[in-house]
Order: sequence, then structure tokens, then C-alpha cells
Amino acid sequence: MAAPLHLTLPPETASVTALLDALEAFTDEAELPIKPASRLMLLAEELAANVVMHATGATFFTADVALEGATLRFTLTDDGPEYDPLGRAEPDTDAALEDREAGGLGVHLVRQLAASAEYRREDGRNILGITLDAAAE
Amino acid sequence: MQITISSAAGLQVAKLEGRLDTATAPQAEASLLPALTAPGLVLDLTAVRYVSSAGLRLLLKLAKEAKGKGAKFSLAGLQPAVREVFEISGFDKIIPAFATVAEATAG
Repeated sequence: MAAPLHLTLPPETASVTALLDALEAFTDEAELPIKPASRLMLLAEELAANVVMHATGATFFTADVALEGATLRFTLTDDGPEYDPLGRAEPDTDAALEDREAGGLGVHLVRQLAASAEYRREDGRNILGITLDAAAE
Repeated sequence: MQITISSAAGLQVAKLEGRLDTATAPQAEASLLPALTAPGLVLDLTAVRYVSSAGLRLLLKLAKEAKGKGAKFSLAGLQPAVREVFEISGFDKIIPAFATVAEATAG
């Protein structure tokens, strides 16, 4: 069983790479199947990229990952302005090429691939928690 | 992210290796936009383990750019995790994806 991971990083693009490298080590250690491992890395990146790209006032973000039985829990916390990415409108995934817009894709992936996703604002921080099925085939 | 550009059957073929994510998409864009010329460009994603939304945005930009230039644009060798993201985003309806580069250059 892999020990829970806790990281505190500055809100810059290099931190997203550092987070992915740490998660890759975590998923190897936990011997997760490829599907939940790649979903975890993907959704962690989407959420961290949101903070790095949009939370202009954040001074840090933290990432916590734990494997609880068959559930992977990932929580991202930042001290930027209040922002709930889950409140974004869904992209139209049936639109023709000319009409497809680039926005909202990351959050769409979170909604589709996470077993659950929840946002809350607490003590001046954005806290976004997701769970994933660790045994997904 | 390593990108190697060659040509096959008259098309440009760009082989990508690594993650196509927030950190690597800008560099990939700088390499791939100039390679996108008529008659077309195939992206070989056989060695790409996953694509995040930053990568999807780049694919969308390249597909739109190709359409504007009258060039073909297609993908080859999508790995399971990449295919999952591609389909969930509805990109399978707007960008042709083939099993192999040979099929992509023939198609």
C-alpha cells in the first residue's frame, strides 16, 4: 500500500510537471492499473493547471492523494480568489469542427472521469476533491 | 516531449513522444504549426501516453488551421488512455484517427 502523498507547490507551470512526476511515482508504488493511474494524473493536471493558469492571486497550492480501499481520493487546495471550476458550462461535444471551442474541456474531463467531484470554499481557500475508482479496467 | 518530423506518401508525419500536457503543449505547437502545410500532416501518437485538455486544445487548433489551409490533418496510434480522452471530448467526431501511420497516409 502506497503512503498518502502531500505536496505544496508554487502556482507555476513547472509545478504541474512536478505534480505529475510525483503522481507517477505514487501510482507505480501503489501498483495501480493503467486506467485509474492515467485518469488520476490527467485529472490532477487539469485541476492544477486551472489554479496555475487562472487563480492569479494564489500564492501556493497543495495536492493530497490517498488510496482508501478501492477509492483514490485527490484533493487540491489553493489560496486564490473564490472559484468553482465545476460551475463552468459544459462544452458542446457534438459541435462541428468550425464551431468547437477550446474552453471548458478540462472540467468536462473531470466531470466525466471522476466518480465524484466536489468544490467547497473554506477559510479563504478553494478546496476541490475528487474520487476515482482505483480498480477501473 | 520529443517531436520528429518526416514525410510519408507525400504527407508530413510528426512523431510525438512523451506527455502532451500543460507544460509541453506550447513547445509542441511551435514545432507543429510550421509543419502543417498542404497536402497534410499526420500526428503519430503511438508513443504518447496521455493527452490532457491542453493537448486537446492544440489538436483543435491544428485541425482548424488545416481546414483553413485546405490541408489534411489526422492522428495515428492513439493509446487507450488517449483514446478515452479523445472520445469523451467528442474529438472522434471532428478529427480522423487511424490505427497506424500507414492507414493515416493512405486515408
